[in-house]
Amino acid sequence: MKYLDVRGLVVAHGQVGPGTHILGIRAPEIRKGAKPGQFCMIDLKPPGAIDPLLRRPLSIHRVGPKGLLIFMYKVVGRGTALLSQLSPGGSLRILGPLGNGFRIDQSRPGLLIGGGIGTAPLVFLSEAWPKDVEQVAIIGGRTRADIEYAARCLEDTPSRVHLATDDGSLGHKGPVTDLMSRAMEMFEGRSPVVYSCGPGPMLKAVARMAADFNLECQVSLEARMACGMGLCLGCAVPGSRGDDSADSGYLHVCREGPVFRADQVSWEDYPCP
Amino acid sequence: MSINPDLAVKTGPLNLKNPVLLASGTCGYGIELQGFVDLEKLGGIVVKGLSLEPRSGNPPPRLMETPCGLLNSIGLENVGVDRFISDKLPALSALDTAVIVNILGDSVRDYQELAGILDQVRGIDAIEVNISCPNVRAGGAAFGSDPDMASEVTAAVRKATSLPLIVKLSPNVTDITLIARAVEHAGADAISLINTLLGMSIDIKARRPVLANTFGGLSGPAIKPVALRMVWQAVRAVNIPVIGIGGIQNASDALEFLLAGAAAVQVGTATLVDPLVSVQILEGIRMYMKETGISDISGLPI
Repeated sequence: MKYLDVRGLVVAHGQVGPGTHILGIRAPEIRKGAKPGQFCMIDLKPPGAIDPLLRRPLSIHRVGPKGLLIFMYKVVGRGTALLSQLSPGGSLRILGPLGNGFRIDQSRPGLLIGGGIGTAPLVFLSEAWPKDVEQVAIIGGRTRADIEYAARCLEDTPSRVHLATDDGSLGHKGPVTDLMSRAMEMFEGRSPVVYSCGPGPMLKAVARMAADFNLECQVSLEARMACGMGLCLGCAVPGSRGDDSADSGYLHVCREGPVFRADQVSWEDYPCP
Repeated sequence: MSINPDLAVKTGPLNLKNPVLLASGTCGYGIELQGFVDLEKLGGIVVKGLSLEPRSGNPPPRLMETPCGLLNSIGLENVGVDRFISDKLPALSALDTAVIVNILGDSVRDYQELAGILDQVRGIDAIEVNISCPNVRAGGAAFGSDPDMASEVTAAVRKATSLPLIVKLSPNVTDITLIARAVEHAGADAISLINTLLGMSIDIKARRPVLANTFGGLSGPAIKPVALRMVWQAVRAVNIPVIGIGGIQNASDALEFLLAGAAAVQVGTATLVDPLVSVQILEGIRMYMKETGISDISGLPI
């Protein structure tokens, strides 16, 4: 088992967009083994408290020196609302690094496609990207404020960044898949590998388009999770028929994922709330 | 005077080096925690419920956090008994801790067949018969809520194996003592309780139940008072050991069950949040015994 459960010091915590926060935790033991696409389970409770009961899965957004792990999260419920009130100087229990992470194909260019808060792990991927391999990033969101911060993070990387918003307030007006077909021309016939993370409907569209272009596509999925370690089997997503890794018909985001080949997932059954 | 308390559980055929077990459904097949938790410190591991054939479980969403609790409707997803024996058991049985296999079926015959298969396998220390899962129509609560059916399943399994037999009871009944007595008379060596309480949650924005299965089983600290009450009742209704389960988060929770008369406890949902907690619970029990001058675990019940 390569993961660890440690108490990490909160060294930075701040809002970077509407309801969106970044959280910096010093946890050198976990930072050491962390790969892009992996996640951690973060305990929001003060020691001795029992509610909210479960830890929250957060994907690693960036890493820094001195064992720094940075997470980007959106306040979506009771747990994340509580987390957002935590001040630097405090500490949190953190379990990780968990999950498989992206598998970088060094022989082919990368096309990174992120939607909203799903851009979080792609920044780590872009920063850890091999220097001599081309990368292009497409970031989409509902409106400017949703993606401004993530876009700024990516502009500091060697990636060529393209932006899209539903309302046209930043970049192209329309879905990321519009830019995806245009980006294909930039690769001049070489097939990129798609690395994507975002809301269900976006991933579904990206997976479909990747299949149309006959591209390998890796998607990072999320699900309600209790343990993050494959103990409870709660974070099930429907696996495509005939895929061996879904030995029960379901894939488990924490155990076989969170990064899957798009063709492992049964997209017609994938819950898109 | 410093004492070194004896934590070994020696009640009938149930022999455990100490009273702290990992509960079924919250520790995978045990091996998932190997190398992370010192499993050999624990009294035993109750593995994820097994059926004759692999099961895919319920569609997602399968989980919902509730105040101090967790609703789940995993739906008994498991690899099936054959793959458990070939792929999981070898590493698990090599550990110096009791391996308890939880079984479930759709019919009395399923249970009997499973027990017969496991009886022939080395490395298994006991069988826990799950007649209490609330998340599937058959193979669960149906057997656990009717004393006659509970008794029939227990008797059938008893016939098929000489392994120690624990029957896991459902709290979703009017009188737990009726079921407890029924399975005792049918040949159970021990009973464990409680399984989860049937519950649900509704998403008011989407205007539909949160869980795809509508209902789920509630676990976690929210259910501890109910579990403790039922364990107290069961202990006083039967003459076989009772294993207490339900919302145990720390040593003081575990001690409440042991003081109520439980011979051992299972730690479930707490492991999902803090995988190392069972070992800390064990240490806390040892500390309590030292501080109160109780030298043997059998001296705990009040």
